[in-house]
Amino acid sequence: TPRHATPSIPSRSLPARQPANVLEEARTRLHVSSVPESLPCREQEFQDIYSFVESKVIDGTGGCMYISGVPGTGKTATVHEVMRCLQHAADVDEIPAFHFIEINGMKMTDPHQAYVQILQKLTGQKATADHAAALLEKRFSNPAPRTETTVLLVDELDLLWTRKQNVMYNLFDWPTRRHARLVVLTIANTMDLPERIMINRVASRLGLTRMSFQPYSFKQLQQIIMSRLNKVKAFEEDALQLVSRKVAALSGDARRCLDICRRATEICEHSAAEPSASGLVGMNHVMEALNEMFSSSYIAAIKCASLQEQLFLRAVIAEFRRLGLEEATFQQVLVQHQALCRVEGLQPVAVSEGLAVCQRLGACRLLLLEPSRLGVLQRVRLNVSQDDVLYALKAD
Amino acid sequence: MSKRKVKDAPLPLGDCLTEAQQVLRERFCRQQLPDRPEGVEAQHKHLLELLKRTAVHGESNSVLIVGPRGAGKTMLLQCVLRDLLEETEVQKNLLQVHLNGLLQTDDRVALKEITRQLHLENVVGDKVFGSFAENLAFLLEALKKGDRSSSRPVLFILEEFDLFAHHKNQTLLYNLFDVSQSAQAPIAVVGITCRLDVLELLEKRVKSRFSHRQIHLLSSLTFTQYLQRARTQLSLPDNFPDSKFAQEWNEDVTTLCEDKSVEEVLQRHFHSSKDFRSLHMLLMLCLSRVSVAKPTIKPADLLDASRLCLADAKANMLHGLSILELCLIIAMKHLNDVYEGEPFNLQMVHNEFKKFLQRKSNSMYNFDQPVIMKAFEHLQQLELIRPADSSAAKTQREYQLMRLMLDHSQIMEALQKYPQCPTDVKQWAMSAFG
Repeated sequence: TPRHATPSIPSRSLPARQPANVLEEARTRLHVSSVPESLPCREQEFQDIYSFVESKVIDGTGGCMYISGVPGTGKTATVHEVMRCLQHAADVDEIPAFHFIEINGMKMTDPHQAYVQILQKLTGQKATADHAAALLEKRFSNPAPRTETTVLLVDELDLLWTRKQNVMYNLFDWPTRRHARLVVLTIANTMDLPERIMINRVASRLGLTRMSFQPYSFKQLQQIIMSRLNKVKAFEEDALQLVSRKVAALSGDARRCLDICRRATEICEHSAAEPSASGLVGMNHVMEALNEMFSSSYIAAIKCASLQEQLFLRAVIAEFRRLGLEEATFQQVLVQHQALCRVEGLQPVAVSEGLAVCQRLGACRLLLLEPSRLGVLQRVRLNVSQDDVLYALKAD
Repeated sequence: MSKRKVKDAPLPLGDCLTEAQQVLRERFCRQQLPDRPEGVEAQHKHLLELLKRTAVHGESNSVLIVGPRGAGKTMLLQCVLRDLLEETEVQKNLLQVHLNGLLQTDDRVALKEITRQLHLENVVGDKVFGSFAENLAFLLEALKKGDRSSSRPVLFILEEFDLFAHHKNQTLLYNLFDVSQSAQAPIAVVGITCRLDVLELLEKRVKSRFSHRQIHLLSSLTFTQYLQRARTQLSLPDNFPDSKFAQEWNEDVTTLCEDKSVEEVLQRHFHSSKDFRSLHMLLMLCLSRVSVAKPTIKPADLLDASRLCLADAKANMLHGLSILELCLIIAMKHLNDVYEGEPFNLQMVHNEFKKFLQRKSNSMYNFDQPVIMKAFEHLQQLELIRPADSSAAKTQREYQLMRLMLDHSQIMEALQKYPQCPTDVKQWAMSAFG
């Protein structure tokens, strides 16, 4: 590597355009990346994490915390906000100064890279994984004239799992050393991760300080959108409620909610032919966006398939009914297919052509197939429910 | 006629044909971009707006283009890119990174390719330095330093997107989507795939970061449109050097497409598949029959081409077998009839064959065991039969269980066309149970 390469993306010749109208403004605010100053609906969690880290920093001790929750419930954002507030408090000398570093299990190629990244963020040194582990070990176990506490955020903890679990072990063991002054906050998706994948001595060092983020309810989602929009009037009340109720019913993922709202503003902007009365994003726009993002495309794909492909699907179902199984060989289906061709008054398909039809359906995963070198002996299964296929074929 | 200018002087027929062949072959084989995408205007507009917002406003986005093979996914994207780059503001700013799941088979290779295409600072000449981990850290750092309004937007195009989902931990996808959902350098991630269930391949945290925007390319094409498309594809453009030849050619194409038998052939292909790639294949086969001696496409050419396209591969292979091999296949067919799809071995086939010899035939086909074994092995090499279970090495060859990989219709069809098939063999094949 060139020694002093500074990572950067070249800058643009003209600055990006600023949003011009209400809808564009709303879209900018609704982008997932524009995290607001304070996160609504996570006050309790914020308080808990804040007091945990604050007490550790003031006492100059160390500790671990495990935070869990499904994706998109504001785990990382809340921790970042806590750190921002604490940093602010440290700046005005309310609490002792501390050092915040962050690693993410998904952003490294191998669990042992964690050592390298921690060392680099702590001291700016570059080292190999083994060397970095040794240096960190020395740093945290020896008494040194350090006054600062280190707060380490480990995101996507489950990716740091190794066979011997030594990375996790070290991460949780360092805070227990007397001179380490290390606070480790770990984030993962599943609540029972410590019980499931960690061996006892690792789980016991992680301790019992746990917190779980519940999926957002529809009221909370609504509040989140309102706070993001912050008095920019772009949505009708009912439309917002519909989005939040739908998302809350499915996953409670705030990212999904924001993405749908953003798509709805686009639809509103481009369906200028039939704008809603107020020029705001209305019910029908939101409905369209929801349909686009949640509906499965299998039925549309079957409707748009060619005649022979549709006949083949019909033959598959006929053969399943005859066998009473959910699986048949291509040869068996072909017999049904040729019979169906005769019924429809078409020329019966040859075997090669039938195989080609079958492969096409397999490529877009309407069918699940065995490898095609098995030829007529390959087994065929449906990837869609039979009812869906029948509905799609009947509707026209 | 008198209005025609001097430079339009009629070319010799040979030159005209060469020119026409060149124009049409370019169209069929090189997948030339059309001026306007047909039938996908809404999708085109959606994608264009989306990419424009990334390029101009610096908004990060992610989108998947999903559609069956040959539905024009890459064509749509290329058209959008062409239209997008017409604006100078976009042209100056947009950085493009093209990745393909078939070339970038793991994250390490993909990352090197990204670094190379972005010309980041750890690129020297055409080589990327540093380990995998360093490269990833460097790229993420670079993207993190950027911000919405000042750094150049990057467009990531991932063809064969579903293959990227099979990489270890989906690290690359997680990071790309994560950047597109956080306040870093503006990027747009466009994935192209033919799998409808692509979202189910993504891990849940990767899925949560993907914006769930999908553009489906499903053709609701009617046969009239298909016919029209065939006609426009065969027609010569207006700027053809010899306008008289072009006019005549286009008239011939129109009459060709109105022909009843041609329509039937195209209908058959349309029923089989709606994608334009197979249509292009068919037209290409017709076009290759045009020569100076026969300067137009006749309906018979199309019929021949269609027959070539629809020919059954296995039945063709049967035509090239010897009589003995054919007899073995017939014996296998009878075994399949009697024992309903149970696997067989060489001994059973040989017995069946011997029964035929004793009963019906004079000893013309009285071959020795090794000869029959050889024929049997030849059939296995052609993959007309395959072992029923894969533990091949353990059993002796005579007793290894096999399955026939042919349908009965294929055997019967091949027998009809087999050159000089002995009558007794034919009768044996027709008879119901051996």
